[in-house]
Amino acid sequence: MNEMTEGHTVKRFDEEMQFLHRLVLEIGGLAQDQLKRAVQTLNDKDPATAREVIKRDQELNDLDIQADEEFINLIIKRQPMAKDLREIITISKAVSDLERVGDEVRKIAQLTIHIYDTDRSLPTLQILRDINTMANFVSNMLSASLMAFDKLDISRAIKVIRQDVELEEEYKSALRRLSTFVMEDARSVGHMIDVALGLRALERIGGHAKNIAGYVVFLVTSKDVRHDSLDAIEATLKLHDPRS
Amino acid sequence: MQTNTLYNSSATQPDNCINIQSSIASDDCHTVGNTSVKNPRMNCRNVDVFYADKQAINQVTLDIGRNEVIAMIGPSGCGKSTFLRCLNRMNDTIDSCRISGEILLDGQNIYDKRQDVVPLRAQVGMVFQKPNPFPKSIYENVAYGPRIHGLTSTKSDLDIIVESSLNRAGLWDEVKDRLNQPGTGLSGGQQQRLCIARTIAVGPEVILMDEPCSALDPIATAKIEELIDELHEEYTIVIVTHSMQQAARVSQRTAYFHLGNLIEVGETNQIFSNPRHKLTEDYITGRFG
Repeated sequence: MNEMTEGHTVKRFDEEMQFLHRLVLEIGGLAQDQLKRAVQTLNDKDPATAREVIKRDQELNDLDIQADEEFINLIIKRQPMAKDLREIITISKAVSDLERVGDEVRKIAQLTIHIYDTDRSLPTLQILRDINTMANFVSNMLSASLMAFDKLDISRAIKVIRQDVELEEEYKSALRRLSTFVMEDARSVGHMIDVALGLRALERIGGHAKNIAGYVVFLVTSKDVRHDSLDAIEATLKLHDPRS
Repeated sequence: MQTNTLYNSSATQPDNCINIQSSIASDDCHTVGNTSVKNPRMNCRNVDVFYADKQAINQVTLDIGRNEVIAMIGPSGCGKSTFLRCLNRMNDTIDSCRISGEILLDGQNIYDKRQDVVPLRAQVGMVFQKPNPFPKSIYENVAYGPRIHGLTSTKSDLDIIVESSLNRAGLWDEVKDRLNQPGTGLSGGQQQRLCIARTIAVGPEVILMDEPCSALDPIATAKIEELIDELHEEYTIVIVTHSMQQAARVSQRTAYFHLGNLIEVGETNQIFSNPRHKLTEDYITGRFG
């Protein structure tokens, strides 16, 4: 009677939670791979592969639906409480964000098709430089947010949230540079709009990574920090730190 | 805080008692959360309960607010039902049971030597796990209490009490045409509502419910839960339940017991979404039991 156990008394519950946890990492891994391939198609001037990337987004959509079914089944069967409930909410929201990362990646792949599969003249490579820089940045953010989720690592999560502030600055700078290009050569305005949309897609991917990091903070501390300033989040985490 | 022994129904002395705190780390014994409320109906201070030399409740301090539903949860043998029974001295019927500490109802010590337990149990009524109607008619089940407590002098007054009690228990429409039939002939859910009507009929301030739905089907359970929601506007309700979902649905505050200790008490939403004590979290997430 009243024996403490390592996990849930119902072991199947542990297995179901672990399955969902792995599913998030699988969806995250697929989203990261899609992002990498989409940016590569731009560098390789490869619209054919860009189309494959767009087509492959369906795998992410399917996994999103599968995850939703798993959440519903788990809630029906286990009626989770406390940390279990927070974890399921976190997973559900993280999966939605990752599915939207997939949607944004499609826009990058679409950029390759717009630029390299039309009769228009090719843009100067200079205007694509910021795409590569920002793609690397958000890829690292996405990777770190998934790592933070996997390890329930708040310090890594806060780093991602902090990086999003940097990303916003970088995005604004990139848009300023783009407008300079337009002023110098008005004929390239079509490409500029495409690139601006690509930059916007990358900025959104960074936003989704930040959201996932925020969910990790919620999961560990039960504090919803999504709409808090960085200072407020850091104050919350300080309160939660048992050493403080 | 000084603890006075107020009631001792056995010859067993305190120094023979086992200290159940030894089973839990010392920091676990301190109740997490605010045990007091602004406008308490009952105050329990440093309550200890012993069955012979075995300590069942350890230094429990808890206020019970007016018109609140407070749920007591915890694994089997944690002391939640024992504590509940202290609130209307139901433990008096157990010879080996000894209680110390202080339990006040509206500021009056219910374990005072001058306190008559009969009116006390009318003020603090109880509904049990298994419906237990008297082997009498539906009418008599409800009328019995008011009659023996002298609450009415005329048959018409008694009729009014029976009808209003059955109404408040949500049973009137189902039984108004068969009041003379035996209460035991009703379904389980109806019997339990009859027992609630019987409790209400004597004008209680507090209603104690010891797993009132554990013998009922989901529909009958839903009716009782709906009734609890309506009744708490007039009464204070203390409910012991093994169903955490039920505790989450019906109560405003929840108290978690473990090995005789009150581990945590707080707003029900907080307890089930973000419990502060690891034992509470481990219990409500199904990590032991």
